[in-house]
Amino acid sequence: MKIAVLAKVVPDYEVPAGDFELAGNRAHARYTRMIGLYDENAIETGIQLKEKYGATLGIVSYGQSEDVPILRKAIAMGGDSLHLVLGESDDPYVIASNLKIALEQLQDVDLVLAGQQSADLDRGVVHGVLAEMLGCTFLAQISRIESDQGRWTVCQNHESGSRMLQFSGKAVLSITSSPENVPRIPAVRAIMAAKKKPVEKLQGTDAPPMQVEEVKVEIPKLESVCEFLPFEDMQETSRMLLARLREERYL
Amino acid sequence: MKTLIIEKIEPKRIGELVTVGRILGETPDLLALGEGEVPGTYPRAYQCPETIAANLVDGVADLIQRDGYQVVLLSATTLGSEIAGRLGARLKAPVLSEVIEVKPDMTVKRPLYGGKAVAEYKIQGNPVILTIRRKYFEPAPLEGTTAAAVFNVESPSVVLLSEEQVQTQGVRLEDAEIIVSGGRGMGSADNFEVLREMAGLLRGAVGASRGAVDEGWASQTMQVGQTGNIVAPAVYFAVGISGASQHLAGIANAKCVVAVNKDEEANIFKRARFGVVCDYHKFIPALIQALREEQ
Ligand SMILES: Cc1cc2nc3c(=O)[nH]c(=O)nc-3n(C[C@H](O)[C@H](O)[C@H](O)COP(=O)(O)OP(=O)(O)OC[C@H]3O[C@@H](n4cnc5c(N)ncnc54)[C@H](O)[C@@H]3O)c2cc1C
Ligand SMILES: Nc1ncnc2c1ncn2[C@@H]1O[C@H](COP(=O)(O)O)[C@@H](O)[C@H]1O
Repeated sequence: MKIAVLAKVVPDYEVPAGDFELAGNRAHARYTRMIGLYDENAIETGIQLKEKYGATLGIVSYGQSEDVPILRKAIAMGGDSLHLVLGESDDPYVIASNLKIALEQLQDVDLVLAGQQSADLDRGVVHGVLAEMLGCTFLAQISRIESDQGRWTVCQNHESGSRMLQFSGKAVLSITSSPENVPRIPAVRAIMAAKKKPVEKLQGTDAPPMQVEEVKVEIPKLESVCEFLPFEDMQETSRMLLARLREERYL
Repeated sequence: MKTLIIEKIEPKRIGELVTVGRILGETPDLLALGEGEVPGTYPRAYQCPETIAANLVDGVADLIQRDGYQVVLLSATTLGSEIAGRLGARLKAPVLSEVIEVKPDMTVKRPLYGGKAVAEYKIQGNPVILTIRRKYFEPAPLEGTTAAAVFNVESPSVVLLSEEQVQTQGVRLEDAEIIVSGGRGMGSADNFEVLREMAGLLRGAVGASRGAVDEGWASQTMQVGQTGNIVAPAVYFAVGISGASQHLAGIANAKCVVAVNKDEEANIFKRARFGVVCDYHKFIPALIQALREEQ
Protein backbone atom coordinates (compact mmCIF):
# COMPACT_ATOMS: atom_id res chain seq x y z
CA MET A 1 0.00 0.00 0.00
CA LYS A 2 1.33 3.39 -0.95
CA ILE A 3 0.04 6.54 0.74
CA ALA A 4 0.85 10.17 0.04
CA VAL A 5 0.02 13.04 2.37
CA LEU A 6 -0.26 16.61 1.07
CA ALA A 7 1.30 19.06 3.49
CA LYS A 8 1.46 22.82 3.04
CA VAL A 9 3.74 25.16 4.94
CA VAL A 10 1.84 28.25 6.13
CA PRO A 11 2.42 31.30 8.33
CA ASP A 12 1.69 30.80 12.05
CA TYR A 13 -2.08 30.39 12.19
CA GLU A 14 -2.22 31.19 15.89
CA VAL A 15 -1.17 34.83 15.51
CA PRO A 16 -4.01 36.78 17.17
CA ALA A 17 -6.02 39.15 14.99
CA GLY A 18 -4.62 42.19 16.79
CA ASP A 19 -1.04 41.29 15.77
CA PHE A 20 -1.85 40.30 12.21
CA GLU A 21 -0.24 42.28 9.42
CA LEU A 22 -0.28 42.00 5.66
CA ALA A 23 2.53 42.66 3.20
CA GLY A 24 0.77 43.14 -0.11
CA ASN A 25 -2.09 40.67 -0.25
CA ARG A 26 -0.55 37.99 1.99
CA ALA A 27 0.53 37.54 5.61
CA HIS A 28 3.71 39.41 6.46
CA ALA A 29 6.86 37.31 6.04
CA ARG A 30 7.86 37.86 9.66
CA TYR A 31 5.56 35.14 10.99
CA THR A 32 6.99 31.74 11.87
CA ARG A 33 6.17 29.15 9.24
CA MET A 34 4.69 25.78 10.10
CA ILE A 35 2.81 22.82 8.64
CA GLY A 36 -0.95 23.54 8.44
CA LEU A 37 -3.03 22.30 11.35
CA TYR A 38 -5.28 19.90 9.41
CA ASP A 39 -2.34 18.74 7.30
CA GLU A 40 -0.77 17.51 10.55
CA ASN A 41 -3.96 15.54 11.26
CA ALA A 42 -3.61 14.04 7.78
CA ILE A 43 0.04 13.14 8.44
CA GLU A 44 -0.94 11.48 11.72
CA THR A 45 -3.69 9.52 9.97
CA GLY A 46 -1.18 8.46 7.30
CA ILE A 47 1.30 7.25 9.92
CA GLN A 48 -1.40 5.22 11.64
CA LEU A 49 -2.26 3.56 8.31
CA LYS A 50 1.43 2.89 7.73
CA GLU A 51 1.68 1.24 11.14
CA LYS A 52 -1.49 -0.79 10.65
CA TYR A 53 -1.03 -1.96 7.07
CA GLY A 54 2.72 -1.66 6.50
CA ALA A 55 2.19 1.08 3.94
CA THR A 56 4.84 3.46 2.65
CA LEU A 57 4.19 7.11 3.31
CA GLY A 58 5.38 9.94 1.05
CA ILE A 59 4.97 13.58 2.07
CA VAL A 60 4.19 15.82 -0.90
CA SER A 61 4.27 19.60 -0.91
CA TYR A 62 4.21 22.48 -3.37
CA GLY A 63 6.16 25.50 -2.19
CA GLN A 64 9.62 26.89 -1.76
CA SER A 65 13.02 25.38 -0.86
CA GLU A 66 12.90 27.26 2.47
CA ASP A 67 9.98 25.04 3.47
CA VAL A 68 12.16 21.91 3.57
CA PRO A 69 13.37 22.22 7.21
CA ILE A 70 9.74 22.72 8.31
CA LEU A 71 8.44 19.80 6.27
CA ARG A 72 11.04 17.52 7.85
CA LYS A 73 8.78 17.41 10.90
CA ALA A 74 6.47 15.17 8.84
CA ILE A 75 9.36 12.75 8.29
CA ALA A 76 10.27 12.88 11.98
CA MET A 77 6.64 12.01 12.80
CA GLY A 78 6.88 8.90 10.62
CA GLY A 79 6.83 9.80 6.91
CA ASP A 80 9.24 7.87 4.68
CA SER A 81 10.13 10.43 2.04
CA LEU A 82 9.66 14.10 1.15
CA HIS A 83 8.78 15.41 -2.30
CA LEU A 84 8.66 19.14 -2.90
CA VAL A 85 7.45 20.70 -6.13
CA LEU A 86 8.90 24.18 -6.42
CA GLY A 87 6.52 27.06 -7.08
CA GLU A 88 4.79 30.06 -5.60
CA SER A 89 1.24 30.12 -6.91
CA ASP A 90 -1.79 30.33 -4.63
CA ASP A 91 -4.19 29.27 -7.37
CA PRO A 92 -5.91 25.94 -6.54
CA TYR A 93 -5.64 24.70 -10.15
CA VAL A 94 -1.94 25.53 -10.38
CA ILE A 95 -1.27 23.94 -6.98
CA ALA A 96 -3.21 20.77 -7.84
CA SER A 97 -1.46 20.43 -11.22
CA ASN A 98 1.89 20.68 -9.48
CA LEU A 99 1.01 18.24 -6.71
CA LYS A 100 -0.06 15.85 -9.45
CA ILE A 101 3.48 15.94 -10.88
CA ALA A 102 4.92 14.68 -7.60
CA LEU A 103 2.21 12.04 -7.18
CA GLU A 104 2.85 10.69 -10.67
CA GLN A 105 6.55 10.55 -9.91
CA LEU A 106 5.77 8.49 -6.77
CA GLN A 107 3.84 6.04 -9.00
CA ASP A 108 0.84 3.92 -8.04
CA VAL A 109 -0.22 5.86 -4.98
CA ASP A 110 -3.30 4.13 -3.55
CA LEU A 111 -4.50 6.88 -1.28
CA VAL A 112 -3.80 10.61 -1.11
CA LEU A 113 -4.58 12.28 2.21
CA ALA A 114 -4.97 16.04 2.50
CA GLY A 115 -5.90 18.38 5.30
CA GLN A 116 -9.54 19.50 5.45
CA GLN A 117 -8.36 22.97 4.51
CA SER A 118 -5.12 24.89 4.29
CA ALA A 119 -4.42 26.94 7.41
CA ASP A 120 -3.72 30.17 5.50
CA LEU A 121 -6.20 30.39 2.62
CA ASP A 122 -8.84 28.30 4.46
CA ARG A 123 -10.25 27.09 1.20
CA GLY A 124 -10.88 23.34 1.07
CA VAL A 125 -10.70 23.24 -2.72
CA VAL A 126 -7.27 21.95 -3.80
CA HIS A 127 -7.92 18.31 -2.83
CA GLY A 128 -11.17 18.06 -4.80
CA VAL A 129 -9.58 19.64 -7.86
CA LEU A 130 -6.65 17.24 -7.58
CA ALA A 131 -8.96 14.21 -7.29
CA GLU A 132 -10.69 15.23 -10.51
CA MET A 133 -7.34 15.70 -12.25
CA LEU A 134 -6.28 12.24 -11.09
CA GLY A 135 -9.67 10.81 -12.06
CA CYS A 136 -10.29 9.25 -8.66
CA THR A 137 -12.81 9.33 -5.82
CA PHE A 138 -12.87 12.30 -3.48
CA LEU A 139 -14.43 12.36 -0.03
CA ALA A 140 -14.31 15.26 2.42
CA GLN A 141 -13.90 15.41 6.19
CA ILE A 142 -12.81 11.85 6.84
CA SER A 143 -11.87 10.92 10.39
CA ARG A 144 -11.17 7.15 10.16
CA ILE A 145 -9.96 4.84 7.39
CA GLU A 146 -9.87 1.07 7.13
CA SER A 147 -8.72 -1.13 4.27
CA ASP A 148 -10.37 -4.46 3.58
CA GLN A 149 -9.49 -6.59 0.54
CA GLY A 150 -9.09 -3.74 -1.89
CA ARG A 151 -11.99 -1.77 -0.46
CA TRP A 152 -11.83 1.25 1.78
CA THR A 153 -14.28 1.91 4.60
CA VAL A 154 -14.15 5.44 5.91
CA CYS A 155 -15.95 7.55 8.49
CA GLN A 156 -17.08 10.98 7.37
CA ASN A 157 -17.88 13.66 9.95
CA HIS A 158 -20.46 16.16 8.79
CA GLU A 159 -22.45 18.95 10.41
CA SER A 160 -25.14 16.79 11.94
CA GLY A 161 -23.34 13.52 12.64
CA SER A 162 -21.20 10.98 10.87
CA ARG A 163 -21.54 8.23 8.30
CA MET A 164 -19.63 5.18 7.16
CA LEU A 165 -18.89 5.06 3.44
CA GLN A 166 -17.28 2.39 1.31
CA PHE A 167 -15.57 2.47 -2.07
CA SER A 168 -12.89 0.68 -4.10
CA GLY A 169 -9.93 2.04 -5.98
CA LYS A 170 -7.79 5.11 -5.67
CA ALA A 171 -8.95 8.17 -3.78
CA VAL A 172 -8.09 11.57 -2.41
CA LEU A 173 -9.49 12.08 1.09
CA SER A 174 -9.61 15.29 3.06
CA ILE A 175 -8.90 14.60 6.73
CA THR A 176 -10.64 16.32 9.58
CA SER A 177 -9.40 16.40 13.15
CA SER A 178 -10.61 13.92 15.73
CA PRO A 179 -9.35 12.78 19.13
CA GLU A 180 -7.79 9.77 17.30
CA ASN A 181 -5.58 11.78 14.95
CA VAL A 182 -4.08 14.38 17.27
CA PRO A 183 -0.60 14.80 15.74
CA ARG A 184 2.15 12.97 17.63
CA ILE A 185 5.17 14.91 18.84
CA PRO A 186 8.28 13.44 17.23
CA ALA A 187 11.09 12.17 19.49
CA VAL A 188 14.42 14.03 19.43
CA ARG A 189 16.14 11.02 17.83
CA ALA A 190 13.56 10.99 15.05
CA ILE A 191 14.04 14.73 14.49
CA MET A 192 17.81 14.20 14.12
CA ALA A 193 17.32 11.24 11.78
CA ALA A 194 14.85 13.24 9.65
CA LYS A 195 17.52 15.85 8.96
CA LYS A 196 19.52 13.26 7.06
CA LYS A 197 16.70 12.00 4.85
CA PRO A 198 17.02 13.01 1.19
CA VAL A 199 14.48 15.42 -0.24
CA GLU A 200 13.29 15.15 -3.79
CA LYS A 201 12.84 18.57 -5.35
CA LEU A 202 10.87 18.79 -8.56
CA GLN A 203 10.58 21.69 -10.93
CA GLY A 204 7.08 23.15 -10.98
CA THR A 205 4.96 23.76 -14.05
CA ASP A 206 2.89 26.73 -15.26
CA ALA A 207 -0.62 25.34 -15.33
CA PRO A 208 -3.56 27.60 -16.30
CA PRO A 209 -5.01 29.38 -13.23
CA MET A 210 -8.72 30.04 -12.70
CA GLN A 211 -10.28 33.09 -14.29
CA VAL A 212 -10.53 35.20 -11.18
CA GLU A 213 -8.84 38.46 -10.30
CA GLU A 214 -7.87 39.06 -6.68
CA VAL A 215 -8.85 42.71 -6.33
CA LYS A 216 -7.70 43.37 -2.78
CA VAL A 217 -7.10 41.86 0.65
CA GLU A 218 -7.90 43.84 3.77
CA ILE A 219 -7.81 43.37 7.52
CA PRO A 220 -11.31 43.88 8.93
CA LYS A 221 -11.55 46.35 11.78
CA LEU A 222 -12.13 44.75 15.16
CA GLU A 223 -13.87 47.16 17.49
CA SER A 224 -13.39 46.22 21.10
CA VAL A 225 -16.25 47.28 23.35
CA CYS A 226 -15.97 44.82 26.21
CA GLU A 227 -17.52 45.85 29.49
CA PHE A 228 -15.75 43.97 32.26
CA LEU A 229 -18.03 43.01 35.12
CA PRO A 230 -16.80 43.01 38.73
CA PHE A 231 -15.71 39.62 40.07
CA GLU A 232 -15.76 40.10 43.85
CA ASP A 233 -19.30 38.79 44.40
CA MET A 234 -20.30 36.25 41.78
CA GLN A 235 -23.99 36.20 42.76
CA GLU A 236 -24.16 39.93 42.30
CA THR A 237 -22.23 39.78 39.00
CA SER A 238 -24.57 37.07 37.69
CA ARG A 239 -27.65 39.13 38.45
CA MET A 240 -26.02 42.19 36.94
CA LEU A 241 -25.15 40.33 33.73
CA LEU A 242 -28.68 38.98 33.30
CA ALA A 243 -30.11 42.45 33.93
CA ARG A 244 -27.77 44.01 31.37
CA LEU A 245 -28.59 41.34 28.76
CA ARG A 246 -32.29 42.06 29.24
CA GLU A 247 -31.81 45.81 29.24
CA GLU A 248 -30.09 45.61 25.87
CA ARG A 249 -32.75 43.18 24.65
CA TYR A 250 -30.43 40.27 23.97
CA LEU A 251 -32.43 37.98 26.25
CA MET B 1 -26.99 35.01 -14.48
CA LYS B 2 -28.53 31.59 -14.95
CA THR B 3 -28.03 30.04 -11.54
CA LEU B 4 -28.41 26.54 -10.10
CA ILE B 5 -28.58 25.82 -6.39
CA ILE B 6 -27.49 22.36 -5.25
CA GLU B 7 -28.57 21.71 -1.68
CA LYS B 8 -30.12 19.19 0.67
CA ILE B 9 -33.80 19.69 1.48
CA GLU B 10 -33.21 22.06 4.38
CA PRO B 11 -35.28 25.24 4.04
CA LYS B 12 -32.84 27.57 5.81
CA ARG B 13 -29.88 26.47 3.74
CA ILE B 14 -31.85 26.66 0.50
CA GLY B 15 -33.30 30.03 1.57
CA GLU B 16 -29.85 31.53 2.09
CA LEU B 17 -28.79 30.36 -1.36
CA VAL B 18 -31.98 31.76 -2.96
CA THR B 19 -31.06 35.13 -1.41
CA VAL B 20 -27.59 34.95 -2.96
CA GLY B 21 -29.03 33.83 -6.29
CA ARG B 22 -31.40 36.82 -6.36
CA ILE B 23 -28.46 39.20 -5.89
CA LEU B 24 -27.10 37.85 -9.17
CA GLY B 25 -30.39 37.67 -11.10
CA GLU B 26 -33.79 36.02 -11.04
CA THR B 27 -34.83 33.25 -8.65
CA PRO B 28 -32.44 30.37 -9.33
CA ASP B 29 -33.23 26.80 -10.30
CA LEU B 30 -32.77 24.10 -7.67
CA LEU B 31 -31.36 20.61 -7.52
CA ALA B 32 -32.78 19.37 -4.21
CA LEU B 33 -31.01 16.42 -2.59
CA GLY B 34 -32.80 13.97 -0.34
CA GLU B 35 -36.34 12.74 0.17
CA GLY B 36 -39.52 14.71 0.85
CA GLU B 37 -41.31 17.71 -0.61
CA VAL B 38 -39.24 20.42 -2.26
CA PRO B 39 -39.96 23.69 -0.39
CA GLY B 40 -40.28 26.98 -2.32
CA THR B 41 -40.99 27.78 -5.95
CA TYR B 42 -38.41 27.80 -8.72
CA PRO B 43 -38.46 28.19 -12.50
CA ARG B 44 -37.12 24.62 -12.62
CA ALA B 45 -36.48 22.12 -9.88
CA TYR B 46 -34.89 18.69 -9.88
CA GLN B 47 -34.79 16.20 -7.05
CA CYS B 48 -32.37 13.40 -6.30
CA PRO B 49 -32.41 11.15 -3.22
CA GLU B 50 -28.60 10.84 -3.31
CA THR B 51 -26.59 12.94 -0.83
CA ILE B 52 -23.12 11.48 -1.44
CA ALA B 53 -21.36 14.15 -3.47
CA ALA B 54 -18.93 11.71 -5.07
CA ASN B 55 -21.89 10.03 -6.78
CA LEU B 56 -23.42 13.28 -7.98
CA VAL B 57 -20.58 15.02 -9.81
CA ASP B 58 -21.00 13.31 -13.21
CA GLY B 59 -24.72 13.99 -13.46
CA VAL B 60 -24.47 17.51 -12.09
CA ALA B 61 -21.68 18.41 -14.54
CA ASP B 62 -23.83 17.17 -17.44
CA LEU B 63 -26.83 19.16 -16.22
CA ILE B 64 -24.80 22.37 -15.92
CA GLN B 65 -23.37 21.99 -19.39
CA ARG B 66 -26.67 20.96 -20.97
CA ASP B 67 -28.70 23.81 -19.48
CA GLY B 68 -25.94 26.42 -19.63
CA TYR B 69 -25.85 27.41 -15.96
CA GLN B 70 -23.46 30.28 -15.33
CA VAL B 71 -23.40 30.15 -11.52
CA VAL B 72 -23.61 27.12 -9.22
CA LEU B 73 -24.38 27.85 -5.57
CA LEU B 74 -23.69 25.46 -2.71
CA SER B 75 -23.46 26.00 1.04
CA ALA B 76 -19.99 25.83 2.56
CA THR B 77 -20.76 22.50 4.23
CA THR B 78 -19.32 18.99 3.95
CA LEU B 79 -21.49 18.38 0.89
CA GLY B 80 -20.56 21.72 -0.67
CA SER B 81 -16.83 21.21 -0.25
CA GLU B 82 -17.12 17.66 -1.54
CA ILE B 83 -18.75 18.78 -4.79
CA ALA B 84 -17.16 22.18 -5.47
CA GLY B 85 -13.53 21.32 -6.25
CA ARG B 86 -14.28 18.29 -8.41
CA LEU B 87 -17.09 20.02 -10.27
CA GLY B 88 -14.91 23.08 -10.86
CA ALA B 89 -12.08 20.99 -12.25
CA ARG B 90 -14.50 19.03 -14.46
CA LEU B 91 -15.99 22.22 -15.92
CA LYS B 92 -12.72 24.18 -15.85
CA ALA B 93 -14.63 26.72 -13.81
CA PRO B 94 -13.42 29.08 -11.08
CA VAL B 95 -14.22 27.86 -7.58
CA LEU B 96 -14.49 30.23 -4.63
CA SER B 97 -15.35 28.76 -1.26
CA GLU B 98 -16.66 30.18 2.03
CA VAL B 99 -18.01 33.30 0.30
CA ILE B 100 -19.45 35.92 2.69
CA GLU B 101 -20.41 38.74 0.31
CA VAL B 102 -21.71 38.73 -3.27
CA LYS B 103 -22.33 41.72 -5.56
CA PRO B 104 -24.34 41.78 -8.82
CA ASP B 105 -21.17 42.58 -10.82
CA MET B 106 -19.72 39.22 -9.74
CA THR B 107 -17.36 40.54 -7.12
CA VAL B 108 -17.30 38.34 -4.06
CA LYS B 109 -15.53 38.38 -0.72
CA ARG B 110 -14.16 35.52 1.33
CA PRO B 111 -12.08 35.40 4.52
CA LEU B 112 -8.43 34.33 4.61
CA TYR B 113 -6.12 33.52 7.52
CA GLY B 114 -8.88 32.35 9.83
CA GLY B 115 -10.84 35.55 9.24
CA LYS B 116 -7.92 37.84 10.07
CA ALA B 117 -8.15 39.16 6.50
CA VAL B 118 -10.86 39.36 3.85
CA ALA B 119 -10.14 39.07 0.13
CA GLU B 120 -12.21 40.50 -2.69
CA TYR B 121 -12.32 38.73 -6.06
CA LYS B 122 -13.70 39.68 -9.42
CA ILE B 123 -14.89 36.60 -11.25
CA GLN B 124 -14.22 36.63 -14.96
CA GLY B 125 -15.01 33.19 -16.28
CA ASN B 126 -18.20 31.20 -16.19
CA PRO B 127 -19.63 28.89 -15.10
CA VAL B 128 -18.44 29.67 -11.60
CA ILE B 129 -18.85 27.49 -8.51
CA LEU B 130 -19.43 29.30 -5.21
CA THR B 131 -19.79 27.81 -1.76
CA ILE B 132 -21.52 30.25 0.58
CA ARG B 133 -20.68 30.46 4.26
CA ARG B 134 -23.73 29.84 6.41
CA LYS B 135 -25.48 32.63 8.31
CA TYR B 136 -24.18 35.54 6.25
CA PHE B 137 -27.29 35.88 4.08
CA GLU B 138 -30.83 36.18 5.39
CA PRO B 139 -32.73 33.07 4.23
CA ALA B 140 -35.45 33.95 1.69
CA PRO B 141 -38.82 32.65 2.87
CA LEU B 142 -39.74 29.58 0.81
CA GLU B 143 -43.43 29.56 -0.04
CA GLY B 144 -45.31 26.55 -1.34
CA THR B 145 -43.67 23.49 -2.80
CA THR B 146 -42.46 22.60 -6.27
CA ALA B 147 -43.07 19.41 -8.19
CA ALA B 148 -39.51 18.53 -9.10
CA ALA B 149 -38.26 16.50 -12.06
CA VAL B 150 -36.46 13.31 -11.11
CA PHE B 151 -32.67 13.51 -11.32
CA ASN B 152 -31.03 10.12 -11.54
CA VAL B 153 -27.57 9.04 -10.44
CA GLU B 154 -25.98 6.48 -12.69
CA SER B 155 -23.44 3.93 -11.40
CA PRO B 156 -22.65 5.33 -7.93
CA SER B 157 -19.09 4.58 -6.85
CA VAL B 158 -19.43 5.24 -3.13
CA VAL B 159 -21.79 3.21 -0.94
CA LEU B 160 -23.42 4.42 2.27
CA LEU B 161 -23.01 1.73 4.97
CA SER B 162 -24.54 3.53 7.92
CA GLU B 163 -25.49 6.96 9.11
CA GLU B 164 -25.42 8.32 12.62
CA GLN B 165 -27.26 11.56 13.35
CA VAL B 166 -26.16 13.03 16.64
CA GLN B 167 -29.33 13.59 18.63
CA THR B 168 -29.42 17.01 20.17
CA GLN B 169 -31.73 17.42 23.10
CA GLY B 170 -33.67 20.65 22.84
CA VAL B 171 -32.67 23.41 20.45
CA ARG B 172 -30.44 22.75 17.42
CA LEU B 173 -27.11 24.54 17.64
CA GLU B 174 -27.46 26.22 14.25
CA ASP B 175 -30.94 27.58 15.08
CA ALA B 176 -30.27 28.51 18.71
CA GLU B 177 -30.80 32.08 19.86
CA ILE B 178 -28.68 31.39 22.93
CA ILE B 179 -25.52 29.28 22.85
CA VAL B 180 -23.33 28.28 25.78
CA SER B 181 -19.96 27.09 24.49
CA GLY B 182 -17.07 25.52 26.35
CA GLY B 183 -13.40 25.35 25.41
CA ARG B 184 -10.23 23.65 26.56
CA GLY B 185 -10.48 25.68 29.74
CA MET B 186 -13.41 23.46 30.80
CA GLY B 187 -10.85 20.86 31.85
CA SER B 188 -12.91 17.69 31.28
CA ALA B 189 -15.94 16.20 29.54
CA ASP B 190 -17.79 15.97 32.85
CA ASN B 191 -17.44 19.68 33.39
CA PHE B 192 -19.60 20.29 30.30
CA GLU B 193 -22.54 19.23 32.46
CA VAL B 194 -22.75 22.73 34.02
CA LEU B 195 -22.95 24.23 30.53
CA ARG B 196 -25.80 21.84 29.64
CA GLU B 197 -27.61 22.86 32.79
CA MET B 198 -27.11 26.54 32.01
CA ALA B 199 -28.22 26.10 28.38
CA GLY B 200 -31.30 24.21 29.58
CA LEU B 201 -32.34 27.09 31.84
CA LEU B 202 -31.82 29.57 29.00
CA ARG B 203 -33.52 27.31 26.42
CA GLY B 204 -30.31 27.42 24.42
CA ALA B 205 -27.85 24.95 22.91
CA VAL B 206 -24.37 23.84 23.97
CA GLY B 207 -21.41 24.41 21.67
CA ALA B 208 -17.67 23.83 21.90
CA SER B 209 -14.34 25.06 20.57
CA ARG B 210 -12.09 22.87 18.49
CA GLY B 211 -9.84 22.66 21.55
CA ALA B 212 -12.61 20.91 23.51
CA VAL B 213 -13.60 18.71 20.55
CA ASP B 214 -10.00 17.58 20.02
CA GLU B 215 -9.79 16.65 23.69
CA GLY B 216 -12.80 14.40 23.13
CA TRP B 217 -14.93 16.36 25.62
CA ALA B 218 -17.55 17.39 23.07
CA SER B 219 -18.79 15.86 19.83
CA GLN B 220 -17.59 17.33 16.56
CA THR B 221 -21.16 18.34 15.69
CA MET B 222 -20.95 20.78 18.62
CA GLN B 223 -17.90 22.57 17.24
CA VAL B 224 -18.37 26.26 16.57
CA GLY B 225 -15.99 28.05 14.23
CA GLN B 226 -14.63 28.26 10.76
CA THR B 227 -14.48 24.49 10.35
CA GLY B 228 -17.43 23.76 12.61
CA ASN B 229 -20.85 25.35 12.85
CA ILE B 230 -21.26 28.94 11.80
CA VAL B 231 -23.79 30.37 14.23
CA ALA B 232 -25.60 33.68 14.69
CA PRO B 233 -27.29 33.63 18.12
CA ALA B 234 -28.51 36.66 20.07
CA VAL B 235 -26.22 35.70 22.97
CA TYR B 236 -23.08 33.56 22.78
CA PHE B 237 -21.45 32.57 26.06
CA ALA B 238 -17.78 31.60 25.55
CA VAL B 239 -16.53 29.75 28.61
CA GLY B 240 -12.83 28.81 28.83
CA ILE B 241 -12.33 29.67 25.16
CA SER B 242 -9.28 31.73 24.19
CA GLY B 243 -10.88 33.35 21.14
CA ALA B 244 -8.65 32.14 18.30
CA SER B 245 -9.56 33.85 15.03
CA GLN B 246 -10.83 30.56 13.60
CA HIS B 247 -13.27 30.25 16.50
CA LEU B 248 -14.38 33.88 16.17
CA ALA B 249 -15.00 33.25 12.46
CA GLY B 250 -17.91 31.05 13.54
CA ILE B 251 -19.56 33.72 15.68
CA ALA B 252 -19.01 36.80 13.50
CA ASN B 253 -22.77 37.35 13.34
CA ALA B 254 -23.53 36.68 17.01
CA LYS B 255 -25.21 39.80 18.42
CA CYS B 256 -23.74 39.69 21.93
CA VAL B 257 -20.77 37.68 23.18
CA VAL B 258 -20.27 37.07 26.90
CA ALA B 259 -16.78 35.80 27.72
CA VAL B 260 -15.75 33.98 30.88
CA ASN B 261 -12.01 33.43 31.01
CA LYS B 262 -9.46 33.49 33.80
CA ASP B 263 -6.87 35.18 31.57
CA GLU B 264 -7.63 38.88 31.23
CA GLU B 265 -5.42 39.02 28.12
CA ALA B 266 -7.45 36.34 26.31
CA ASN B 267 -8.38 37.39 22.77
CA ILE B 268 -12.04 36.51 23.33
CA PHE B 269 -12.45 39.75 25.31
CA LYS B 270 -11.70 41.71 22.12
CA ARG B 271 -14.88 40.26 20.60
CA ALA B 272 -16.98 40.21 23.76
CA ARG B 273 -19.62 42.73 24.79
CA PHE B 274 -19.46 41.58 28.42
CA GLY B 275 -16.46 39.97 30.11
CA VAL B 276 -15.94 38.20 33.41
CA VAL B 277 -12.30 37.55 34.29
CA CYS B 278 -12.38 34.55 36.62
CA ASP B 279 -12.31 30.79 36.97
CA TYR B 280 -15.55 29.57 35.42
CA HIS B 281 -16.01 27.14 38.35
CA LYS B 282 -16.85 30.18 40.45
CA PHE B 283 -19.01 32.08 37.99
CA ILE B 284 -21.12 29.54 36.09
CA PRO B 285 -22.68 27.94 39.22
CA ALA B 286 -23.55 31.45 40.46
CA LEU B 287 -25.13 32.28 37.09
CA ILE B 288 -27.12 29.03 37.18
CA GLN B 289 -28.30 29.95 40.67
CA ALA B 290 -29.39 33.40 39.46
CA LEU B 291 -31.28 31.85 36.54
CA ARG B 292 -33.03 29.43 38.88
CA GLU B 293 -34.07 32.25 41.20
CA GLU B 294 -35.68 34.02 38.27
CA GLN B 295 -37.84 31.04 37.35
C1 LIG C 1 -7.61 25.89 9.56
C2 LIG C 1 -8.03 25.97 10.99
C3 LIG C 1 -9.37 25.82 11.31
C4 LIG C 1 -9.80 25.90 12.65
N1 LIG C 1 -11.14 25.81 12.93
C5 LIG C 1 -11.58 25.99 14.20
C6 LIG C 1 -12.98 25.97 14.52
O1 LIG C 1 -13.84 25.76 13.65
N2 LIG C 1 -13.35 26.19 15.81
C7 LIG C 1 -12.45 26.41 16.81
O2 LIG C 1 -12.85 26.60 17.97
N3 LIG C 1 -11.12 26.40 16.53
C8 LIG C 1 -10.66 26.19 15.26
N4 LIG C 1 -9.31 26.17 15.02
C9 LIG C 1 -8.38 26.08 16.16
C10 LIG C 1 -8.06 27.40 16.83
O3 LIG C 1 -6.93 27.96 16.19
C11 LIG C 1 -7.70 27.17 18.33
O4 LIG C 1 -6.65 26.24 18.42
C12 LIG C 1 -8.88 26.66 19.18
O5 LIG C 1 -10.03 27.46 18.95
C13 LIG C 1 -8.50 26.71 20.65
O6 LIG C 1 -9.54 26.21 21.47
P1 LIG C 1 -9.74 26.76 22.96
O7 LIG C 1 -9.96 28.23 22.93
O8 LIG C 1 -10.78 25.93 23.60
O9 LIG C 1 -8.36 26.37 23.66
P2 LIG C 1 -7.18 27.24 24.21
O10 LIG C 1 -6.65 28.16 23.16
O11 LIG C 1 -6.25 26.29 24.85
O12 LIG C 1 -7.85 28.18 25.31
C14 LIG C 1 -8.32 27.75 26.56
C15 LIG C 1 -8.73 29.01 27.33
O13 LIG C 1 -9.34 28.62 28.56
C16 LIG C 1 -8.95 29.53 29.58
N5 LIG C 1 -9.12 28.82 30.85
C17 LIG C 1 -8.41 27.77 31.32
N6 LIG C 1 -8.92 27.35 32.51
C18 LIG C 1 -9.98 28.15 32.78
C19 LIG C 1 -10.89 28.23 33.86
N7 LIG C 1 -10.84 27.36 34.89
N8 LIG C 1 -11.83 29.19 33.84
C20 LIG C 1 -11.91 30.08 32.82
N9 LIG C 1 -11.05 30.05 31.76
C21 LIG C 1 -10.11 29.10 31.75
C22 LIG C 1 -7.53 29.88 29.24
O14 LIG C 1 -7.18 31.13 29.81
C23 LIG C 1 -7.58 29.93 27.70
O15 LIG C 1 -7.85 31.23 27.24
C24 LIG C 1 -8.86 26.09 13.69
C25 LIG C 1 -7.52 26.25 13.36
C26 LIG C 1 -7.09 26.19 12.04
C27 LIG C 1 -5.65 26.38 11.74
N1 LIG D 1 0.95 24.12 -1.61
C1 LIG D 1 0.46 22.97 -1.13
N2 LIG D 1 1.29 21.93 -0.87
C2 LIG D 1 0.82 20.77 -0.36
N3 LIG D 1 -0.47 20.53 -0.13
C3 LIG D 1 -1.34 21.52 -0.38
C4 LIG D 1 -0.94 22.78 -0.90
N4 LIG D 1 -2.05 23.55 -1.02
C5 LIG D 1 -3.09 22.81 -0.60
N5 LIG D 1 -2.67 21.58 -0.22
C6 LIG D 1 -3.48 20.47 0.35
O1 LIG D 1 -4.85 20.66 0.04
C7 LIG D 1 -5.61 20.93 1.25
C8 LIG D 1 -6.68 21.95 0.92
O2 LIG D 1 -6.08 23.17 0.52
P1 LIG D 1 -6.92 24.49 0.26
O3 LIG D 1 -7.82 24.24 -0.87
O4 LIG D 1 -5.91 25.56 -0.02
O5 LIG D 1 -7.67 24.76 1.54
C9 LIG D 1 -4.56 21.38 2.27
O6 LIG D 1 -4.98 21.13 3.59
C10 LIG D 1 -3.37 20.53 1.88
O7 LIG D 1 -3.47 19.21 2.37
